[in-house]
Amino acid sequence: MIYKVSHRTSYRYVRPVSFGNHVACLKPRSFLHNDLKYSALDIHPAPTTRTERVDYFGNLLCFFTVEEPHEELVVEAKSEVVINNDADRTAQISLPWERSTGALARDHSIDGLVAHQFQFESPRIRIRPEFAAYALHSFTPGRPMREALLDLTTRIHNDFRFDAKVTTVRTPTEEVFKKRRGVCQDFAHVQIACLRSINVAARYVSGYLRTYPPPGKPRLVGADASHAWVSAYSQDLGWLDMDPTNDVAPTDGHVTLAWGRDYGDVSPLRGLILGGGSHILRVEVDMEPIET
Amino acid sequence: MIGDLYQSPLRYGATYEESSADGVNPRPHWAHLMESLRAIGPEELGRRRARAERRIRENGITYNIYGDPLGANRPWRIDVVPLLIPAKEWRFIEAGVTQRAQLLSLLLEDLYGPQDLLTRGHFPASLLYANPAFLRPMVGVQVPPHSSLHMLAVDLARSPDGQWWVLADRTQAPSGSGYALENRTIVADLLPELFRTSNVLRLAPFFRAQRDALTSMAGIDNPRIVLLTPGPHNETYFEHSYLAKYLGFTLVEGADLTVRDRRVYLKTVEGLEQVDVILRRVDDGFCDPLELRSDSLLGVPGLVDAVVAGNVKVANGLGSGVIESAAIMPFLPGLARHLLGEELKLPSVATWWCGQNKALEWVLEHLEAVVVKPAFPSLGMEPVFGSELSRHERAKFIERLHTFPHEYVAQEQVALSTAPVWENDCLNSRSVVLRTYVLNTPTGWIAIPGGLVRVAEASGSVVSMQRGGHSKDAWILWDKPVDTFSMLRARDEPVTLRRVPRVVPSSVADNTFWLGRYVERAESIARLLRSIVPRVLRAEQAELQSLIRLHGCLGSRRSKTRKSKRNPPTFAALEKEMLAMLTSTKRPESLPCTLQEVSRIGGNVRERLSADMMLLIGKLRNAMQVEPGAELQDYPTLLTACLELLSAFSGMERENINRGSGWLFMSLGRRLERAVYLTRQLREITRPLPAEDWSYLQCLLEVADSSMTYRARYYTTLHPVAVLDVLMADETNPRSLDFQLQHLADLYQKLPRHVPADLKAMQEALETLRHIDLRSIEYPSDGKRPHGENGLARLDQYLAELEELLPSWSNNLSSRYFSHARVLPVTMGQ
Repeated sequence: MIYKVSHRTSYRYVRPVSFGNHVACLKPRSFLHNDLKYSALDIHPAPTTRTERVDYFGNLLCFFTVEEPHEELVVEAKSEVVINNDADRTAQISLPWERSTGALARDHSIDGLVAHQFQFESPRIRIRPEFAAYALHSFTPGRPMREALLDLTTRIHNDFRFDAKVTTVRTPTEEVFKKRRGVCQDFAHVQIACLRSINVAARYVSGYLRTYPPPGKPRLVGADASHAWVSAYSQDLGWLDMDPTNDVAPTDGHVTLAWGRDYGDVSPLRGLILGGGSHILRVEVDMEPIET
Repeated sequence: MIGDLYQSPLRYGATYEESSADGVNPRPHWAHLMESLRAIGPEELGRRRARAERRIRENGITYNIYGDPLGANRPWRIDVVPLLIPAKEWRFIEAGVTQRAQLLSLLLEDLYGPQDLLTRGHFPASLLYANPAFLRPMVGVQVPPHSSLHMLAVDLARSPDGQWWVLADRTQAPSGSGYALENRTIVADLLPELFRTSNVLRLAPFFRAQRDALTSMAGIDNPRIVLLTPGPHNETYFEHSYLAKYLGFTLVEGADLTVRDRRVYLKTVEGLEQVDVILRRVDDGFCDPLELRSDSLLGVPGLVDAVVAGNVKVANGLGSGVIESAAIMPFLPGLARHLLGEELKLPSVATWWCGQNKALEWVLEHLEAVVVKPAFPSLGMEPVFGSELSRHERAKFIERLHTFPHEYVAQEQVALSTAPVWENDCLNSRSVVLRTYVLNTPTGWIAIPGGLVRVAEASGSVVSMQRGGHSKDAWILWDKPVDTFSMLRARDEPVTLRRVPRVVPSSVADNTFWLGRYVERAESIARLLRSIVPRVLRAEQAELQSLIRLHGCLGSRRSKTRKSKRNPPTFAALEKEMLAMLTSTKRPESLPCTLQEVSRIGGNVRERLSADMMLLIGKLRNAMQVEPGAELQDYPTLLTACLELLSAFSGMERENINRGSGWLFMSLGRRLERAVYLTRQLREITRPLPAEDWSYLQCLLEVADSSMTYRARYYTTLHPVAVLDVLMADETNPRSLDFQLQHLADLYQKLPRHVPADLKAMQEALETLRHIDLRSIEYPSDGKRPHGENGLARLDQYLAELEELLPSWSNNLSSRYFSHARVLPVTMGQ
């Protein structure tokens, strides 16, 4: 499956911004079944400085500054990604989950260390008994990791309601957990908190999701959204992606952009500006399948 | 025999007493000091101590304690008696702390580099990953050698058997070396004969080495080095400014710096100046809101990227806080063997990191015997003494230990050694901890000879400056000749003459401008009060209205006396109001509050002012303090004394400050403030003034110190127009309005990058003033506003416009030169 993704973010400021210092995490990382063919980042006004760097987690960051006064900032990311993730894993039987988590602290291999660090708290993820209690309903003793993960994903999908009005990017995970409402980012955080609270290594994945128009209707350009889901580590199967918002284990409808400990590590665009006052934000995402 | 010097018999055995092994005889290296103390005698020692305390207050040496009723600016407390350490013992400590610094530096470089220690199992990965101070963006970043752990501080304690132990390591941004230096200056001055005859190792070479190390880090000639401080509210701000001044670095806050094109620049009144090295006192997590903590207001957006690009060097390196953790202590002996092939020379106090199963089990079994602390300082938890927990608390705490084992360490409690402290005319024994410092330099590791000794409060063994403890100097009694180098003393090396003016950061310009304004404001208020108060005491009814007008010039927002017609003002009300202006510590426009502001702003730029000027500011802060029960008649003398101090300040301002940008801003502030007060005072005349209130004119001449000038010209005839001539139009009178406007225009013109429109506005205001023909004014003696076109009405209109112009002109100046507009974080949602 090949996708053409376009992700346009625009910022209109009430007062001119004289200086802006930004970092964008908008270039899809390339790995296994997520093969980046092409990527471009257009920034208006033209940035004064622009540098690219691979971050600690292997994501592709673009740092840029705009040093002329501007009332609007537009960042448009365009990329082409080949997704080859149709392997049917339903038949695979994984190890009992406790065996996987317990061994990680003693695993000094590079892969083990990489996974181990996702067992700890991070700025937006706290380890809490209430998260653990919720997770343990799915993670019953001896249950295979993949099966338990799928069950937890389904439960979050069923117990939480999609509601774009109750949370913001700053809402703490504990609050989302209490309210049982939120958006994809919140559900991902809840699932990560549940997993880490029972010592399962889990990371936050940002990306895009292919959406299907209602039958008979044309595909609407720009109606898609950026998306987020989770990935959990099982010693035998490696990283397993789970999308609690849609209750699926992602296959070839998900394009991965970046991953980190939580949203804070991979927010698509953040920055510090001088001036500006309040602002109006507009995000348009379009994910077009060009070939299957 | 030293018993007579002590208040109570020395206890010995349970702890190690530094000065005596048996409680009767001094240890050999203490004998000379004890003899000296006895020779000086309690009376003289008391006098010297008082002198030291005065000096501390006047020099403004402070340590801010959060939540202290004295608030910010709590005077630093220091003991007369130094802690003595003989040469042989020092060599042992020195070897121990330098080895430790070397080891910690290697550990730090590996954790942010290849991480071999993790993959080979020499250091638990979980200890790194659970640590909030592990700054992931810094992994793999190339930084210059010697910079990651430029300075280490080690807290040492001595157990009852005489053995030294490490209590804690400070790797983030170690504080206290500046206080150690200031302590040395004070104690060496208090005990000059003892200091001279004790062959004490000097501290200056250590600071010279620090300056050299930071200079060489830049890799270029004449680098610009700044000391980055969180600001005046930080507990050790005094030290930041003291060190900046001593080392010759520019003291800056995050808002003074900006990153452009991956380089760090200092915002100065001249424009942007590139910064090569940052000695930081801001915790690393707060240094860059773009890549580190996004909620930080103390940092510089883009700093990490500038470090990655290699365009700026930071010491200690960003990320160094990761090893400021007691949890690493259990691993140090193994790491020393693995990395250095040596045994650890100085042991750490017994420590268990609960993140390891075996250690956790041991801790749970021995909870009564240990103190449990946070493994990472950012968790900000108070230590828990296992023996003090109730059964219920204990159960809850054990549950927490099970849930978050990584976050806790347990340590054995150390019986600290005690040392003599001089108080209440005799010696007392107090627990002490020695904080010593190690520098990483291109020529090797250098330990400060001595350090900062922190002393526990009267009882208990908790030593913490935050808890109100005090400090001591530490003297290393050397057995060879000592290097008596001082930072400013001549050395036999050639000196290149330099006349480069120090750059003035925008924030410094801002503060000096406001220092000028507040000093002048204090003077205006003091002068007005000195004119009003004696007349209020005389209480002549005919003068009442004049006095109320004068009072209106104070700028007191509560001066509603005049406006209410139903309740005519009385002398009683005015007297009450005067007392408030003289004593209130709550009303911002009162004299004490204005002086407090002078002292606060002066403190913000202390590294820019001479010691004498800081001394004056210190005296000014307390200038209006009186004995309880003072009455209004006690104040005129006090006001005169206060005005003398203010005159001394303006004298220094004129004669002792280089005419750089800093001085220009201070003078601009003074002229602007004086113009504001003058305009307000003159408008009382142009509004106009009824004949029965003409005594106001006399007061005004007094306030403006122009009575002599006036009398020389007009003898005893008091007329409003003549007063206007002297106080408004006379360009030779330094207290006239013309003089202020002319100087404002001249000073402004000298500023780099001045705005032509603002210069023109001031020049035009001056021109207009000079075109006003006072001779044409017919002054109405009935105090009624004249009808129609009239010179007086036009003049009043001019002054009204000037009252508008001055503040807006000041705002323009601020936005041009002091633009500190805080950068705002923007996170774009999904």
